[in-house]
Amino acid sequence: MRREFALLSIILFVVSVSLLVSIIAHYIYIPGINIRPLAHIYLNTTYNLVNRNFTANSPEAVTAIVWDYRGLDTVFETTVFYLAIIGSIALGRGLFKFSKSSGETGLSIIVKSVSRITTPMIVTVAVSIALHGHLTPGGGFQGGSTAAVAPLIIIIAFSQYFLIERGISKDLMLVIRSLGLLMIGIVAITAYFIGVFTKTPAFVLQNQAKTVSPVSLPAYLGGQLISGTLWFFNLAEFFAVLAGFTIVILLLVIPERAFKSDVK
Amino acid sequence: MIDPQLLVLGLAALSSLFSVIAVYLAIIEKDLVKAVVFSAIQSGLYALLYYILMAPDIVLVYIPVAIGLYPAIILILISKTEKVEKD
Amino acid sequence: MINPVTYFLSLILTALIVNLGLSLYGVFFRPSLIKKIIALTIFSDTANTFAILIGFRRWVDNQPSIPPVIVGDYTSEIIQKEFIKRSVDPLPQALVLTAIVIGLAVTLFLVFLTLQIYRTYGTLDIREIRRLRG
Repeated sequence: MRREFALLSIILFVVSVSLLVSIIAHYIYIPGINIRPLAHIYLNTTYNLVNRNFTANSPEAVTAIVWDYRGLDTVFETTVFYLAIIGSIALGRGLFKFSKSSGETGLSIIVKSVSRITTPMIVTVAVSIALHGHLTPGGGFQGGSTAAVAPLIIIIAFSQYFLIERGISKDLMLVIRSLGLLMIGIVAITAYFIGVFTKTPAFVLQNQAKTVSPVSLPAYLGGQLISGTLWFFNLAEFFAVLAGFTIVILLLVIPERAFKSDVK
Repeated sequence: MIDPQLLVLGLAALSSLFSVIAVYLAIIEKDLVKAVVFSAIQSGLYALLYYILMAPDIVLVYIPVAIGLYPAIILILISKTEKVEKD
Repeated sequence: MINPVTYFLSLILTALIVNLGLSLYGVFFRPSLIKKIIALTIFSDTANTFAILIGFRRWVDNQPSIPPVIVGDYTSEIIQKEFIKRSVDPLPQALVLTAIVIGLAVTLFLVFLTLQIYRTYGTLDIREIRRLRG
């Protein structure tokens, strides 16, 4: 009874205070009618055929901002995520060998059959989200975290030994993550090295040609739009994020008896 | 008949009001498994709010992360430690 | 007298501020470590919602606002002009994407630390841990 009374009072509080706020806000629009001038610049130059020296050649403004206009932010965000994964791997060192307990593991046979059907569908949708990131809403991180639901379902419905016996262990996922991050690093400095070899000025994380440097990665490949570095960044980030989440889940489901003689 | 902007923003206001209910129930609840389920319901209502506020990239990140991965990780953590919050 | 659109938007704003207050109460006053982690994720999600709310844009002349993606034939000039007049702000969405990933990394690290605390002290109640340390 106390709980329902508190809920009702909170709802009435929200409704009445917002009435008061809207009377005060009659003279200021909280979300306005016009957007800021900086947003005008981003929206104007994200796919601009008239001004070829200041465009990102991608009809999706958010992916262009994340990987082209503010690419350095994304590089450091990937570093922070990597540090969290390294920290959790360090907490899982020094384990005792644990073997599979005998008997049937996992959930019932209905759950196992349904997960055999839905897991490839999840991975397919995730790859589509990741590779079309420069044309529709999506991108590397969105596709990677959608695809990370598939190992989670396999580990819960079957068991972790199902993955380990087939070779998908923590070490293989660490190798895949490192390869993904290496590809991000190589694509980021490609334009700079092209500039070094042809003796023209170029920048790190450069995508298309700018007024001071004519180096440009191709925006169209065989008639399809790939927006320079954006497609490769999305592909590498997909693999890196998928492997990173799989490492974390594999470390969390280690049974407690592997830590038992470790404490005190 | 009715202004379509009012309908759309009315749906957003309704979903944010329900999210207040879900957050209150998640904080008050003593059984930790139910608290995680209430937190997932709140994340679903936030995803609807992001969709109405015209942010489709954020919806595609938020749904697998906050409804799929966070509750799964915290449920694994609960199964290894305690299940009920003491008084 | 009051515009219903302004009322609905201020309702969303007030509901988010109440969410912020409730989750801060949960972080400070609930004794279990797992409840603190749940309340912290609610707090960071609400802060991200504020940032997205700032980038929104009202409808002009009964034309709805569109997300920042060019659809249709993106090489034509007319569609580009319509796009700039109706699209919402893309910059807060890009910054929120980064913020979600960093919040996820912090929460993952906190989960592993909580497991280690349980293995060392045997309990997750913050008052007992404070007593046991002395």
